[in-house]
Order: sequence, then C-alpha cells, then structure tokens
Amino acid sequence: MRTSTLRLATVGALLAAATLVSGCGPITPWVKPYERERLADPVMAWDRASVSSSYMGHVRENREGARGARGGGGGGCGCN
Amino acid sequence: MTVMHSRRFARSLAAVVATLAGTMGAAHAGVLPEERADAMYKIYDGGGLKIDGPSVLVRKNFADKVSVTANYYVDQVSGASIDMVVLGASPLREERKQKSLSVDYLRGKTTYSAGAENSAENDYDANTAFVSIGQDMFGDLTTVTLGASRGWDRITRVTGASRQRDPNFERRLERRSWSIGLSQIITRNLITGVDYEAITEQGYLQNPYRAIRYLAPGGQSFITAPEVYPTTRTSNAVAVRAKYYLPWRASVGGSYRFFSDTWNIRAHTAELNYTHPLFKDSVMADFNYRYYRQSSASFYSDLFPRANFQNFMARDKELSTSDNQSVGLAVSYDFIRGAGWRFLNKATVSARYDYIMYRFKDFRDASVRGVAPGAEPLFQYNASVGQVFVSVFF
Repeated sequence: MRTSTLRLATVGALLAAATLVSGCGPITPWVKPYERERLADPVMAWDRASVSSSYMGHVRENREGARGARGGGGGGCGCN
Repeated sequence: MTVMHSRRFARSLAAVVATLAGTMGAAHAGVLPEERADAMYKIYDGGGLKIDGPSVLVRKNFADKVSVTANYYVDQVSGASIDMVVLGASPLREERKQKSLSVDYLRGKTTYSAGAENSAENDYDANTAFVSIGQDMFGDLTTVTLGASRGWDRITRVTGASRQRDPNFERRLERRSWSIGLSQIITRNLITGVDYEAITEQGYLQNPYRAIRYLAPGGQSFITAPEVYPTTRTSNAVAVRAKYYLPWRASVGGSYRFFSDTWNIRAHTAELNYTHPLFKDSVMADFNYRYYRQSSASFYSDLFPRANFQNFMARDKELSTSDNQSVGLAVSYDFIRGAGWRFLNKATVSARYDYIMYRFKDFRDASVRGVAPGAEPLFQYNASVGQVFVSVFF
C-alpha cells in the first residue's frame, strides 16, 4: 500500500516536472502594460502613505509578540 | 525604552524598509518611488500611556536613477503602564527619537536599496542597517525583493527620581533579519503578494525594569522578582496578501500572516480593507479591520508558584496568550491636484483613526487589591490611535 502510494507520488511529481519544463520558454505577459490602468489606480496601492503605515506597524509590533513579513516593497503594479 | 512600553526595539527589516521604501505597491522595482514630503502628528492613547509626536518623511529623486529618503520621528511618552502600576513606579515622561536615511538606485528593472536607522532613548540606543534588491521580471508581472538587515542595540537602565543612567548596567543585543517577498499580478484586477521574514536576535532580550511575580509562602500575597529571559530568539513569519479592483472604482484587500518563534509563540494575523473614493474622487476613504491572536511563550506565567521556579521566567503581557481586534478609518483629501500650484503636483491632507481592543487570556490585573493572587480579573484595555498628516508631491 505504502509502496504504491510512493510510486503514485513519484509518477505525479515527474508528470508535474515534465509539464513545467515543457512550459519553459519566453513567458508572454498575460496582462499587457495597457491593461494595467486599474492596477495603477491609487485605490489599488498596497500602501498609499508609508509614513502612516509604518507608524501603525510600529504601534502593533510593540504590543504584540509577532513581528516581520509586513511586506517591504515591490508591488509590480505596472504604473508605467 | 519607555519603561515597560517597548520591551524591545527589535525592528524587523520589513518595518525599517516599510518606512523608507516607496509606498509599497507603487514601489514597482523598475520605477523609482514618487517624490514626496509628509509631515505627520500622531497620538497613541491606551493602557495608561499616552505617546505622541511628529514624523516627517522626505523623498527626493535625482536623475531618474537615485532616490533618497529621510525620516525623522519622535515619540513623547507619558503615563504609567500596568507593569509600572504593579511595581509602584511613578508615571514617566520620556522621549524617543528616530532618524533614518536610505538610498534607492535604479538600474534597468532592478532597484538596489541600502539604508540605516538610529533610535535613541534615555536608556535604549538602537542602530539598524539594511540592504535590499528588487527585481521586476516576467513582463513586469512579478517583482521579487530580497533583503537583509543587521542591528546593534545598547540597553542601559535609569534609576532614581533624576532618571540618570545606571553606570553599572549596560547590555547588548544583536539583531539579524532576512526577507524575501514576491508580488504578482494575476489579472488586470487582481494583485497578490507573499512575504517571508526570518529574524534572529542574540543578547539582552528582556526589560531591565519588568518583574515576574510568584506566590508568597502561605499563598495570600505575591512577591516580585526580576525577569530572566533566554539570550536568543529566532522567528519566522510568512504573509500572503491580495488586492482586488471591484466592478466600481473601489478595491477590497486582505492579508494573513502566520508567525512562530523559538519561544513557542504562534500568532495569526488577518486583515481586511476596503478603499473607496468619494466626492468626485477628491476624497479617498479606507476602512480596515484587523484580528490578531497569539499563544504564550513557553517561559511565560502570570504567577509563578515559587521563587526560581524555572530557568527562564517572564511576565510580559506581550508574551502571554492574547488577542486584539482593531477597526480603522482613514480619509485623505486632495486640496491641490493636477498641474498644481508652483512646484507641487499634488497636496493631500489625511486623517486616520484606529480603535484597538486588547484582551489578555492569562495576564491578570495585579494592581487589583483584596483578592487572592491569581484570582484578579484578566487584564484588558482599549487604545485609540490618531494620525493627521499633510503630504505634498513634487
């Protein structure tokens, strides 16, 4: 039972790898630059004022045990 | 250290970068963040403490290649937290000043960033340096950001009514963090992100003022004693987030973060927000709701059974089992728009208010007298956080 499960998992992994490899090549952006009007809209910004959000982050981090992974940048909103 | 208020100033890399990097989201790795200046007054009122002061941020770009950001921030603290009340300490008045500077350099689709931050209090100095690199790829649908930071803290202690530094007490703390973030455009209406950050600290992690309490012989009262913490802590946090453009001009966003550390704290954070323009788009309104809960550190106890009960002992409410919920509303109004006035492209005035309800599940209000130790009501408090700021874009 265990062996057959392992075999099934191996075949599955190989199939997935084959699919991924065959998919390699130049990636065509499926959202074109001219289709990014909404993504570039200020309503879609992760954070419109870092002076404000970093303060809230500070307020929270000082009163909670957890910290980190607040998102440091990037965004790729396509605001060209 | 704003006694009992901030046990640590272990700012995560994300926290430092969030201050200095461009407005997240708009900070496309292949585009410099917009030039702006923000002047803010903020106030926190809750748990017996009032903390207010200004924060000023200026970002200036040069030759479309380099962006320099500077932030100056002050916290003026007054009042007495529950820990101070229990120890019979008098209310304090303290100040923390924070200065940060960072530089972004854009080359093609890659942004290189480096920065430093200094925070100074009468009994706590912290220095942090960070580097990060952001890369746009796959037709600019994907942005990957890698970062690392190091921090060096010096902890001292003030004593007496004059609050002078104790010359015989000085401790060190070193912090390191590594992060990776991925932002991905999924459709023309949907953007998502994943962030991971590992933080490790070594050195003096406790608060030199805070105390644990243990049962006095007979069990009718308690005795306080200094906390004893491990000298290392490592944490991992992973967060996922998404933002969706609704069929009308508005967006809904959400995020979830899972956190765990070597002190056995596990925490979950969930956040929802909704952004909607009003009054012919001159006003932008944001509503947000946030839920947070955590389990306690393995060496935390509200009331230890006896002195020297175990190697490590803490009674910091931030290490207890707790949850909090917050609701917030932010509005910003563009009072200068378009071609602008003189050198300004846009100017905005913003206000934000958050109400946070902190509830503790195994931290009791030890200031309550007349009840047996361990039978006091569970501690809870509500906090108000207000911000008003003016932003100019040039």
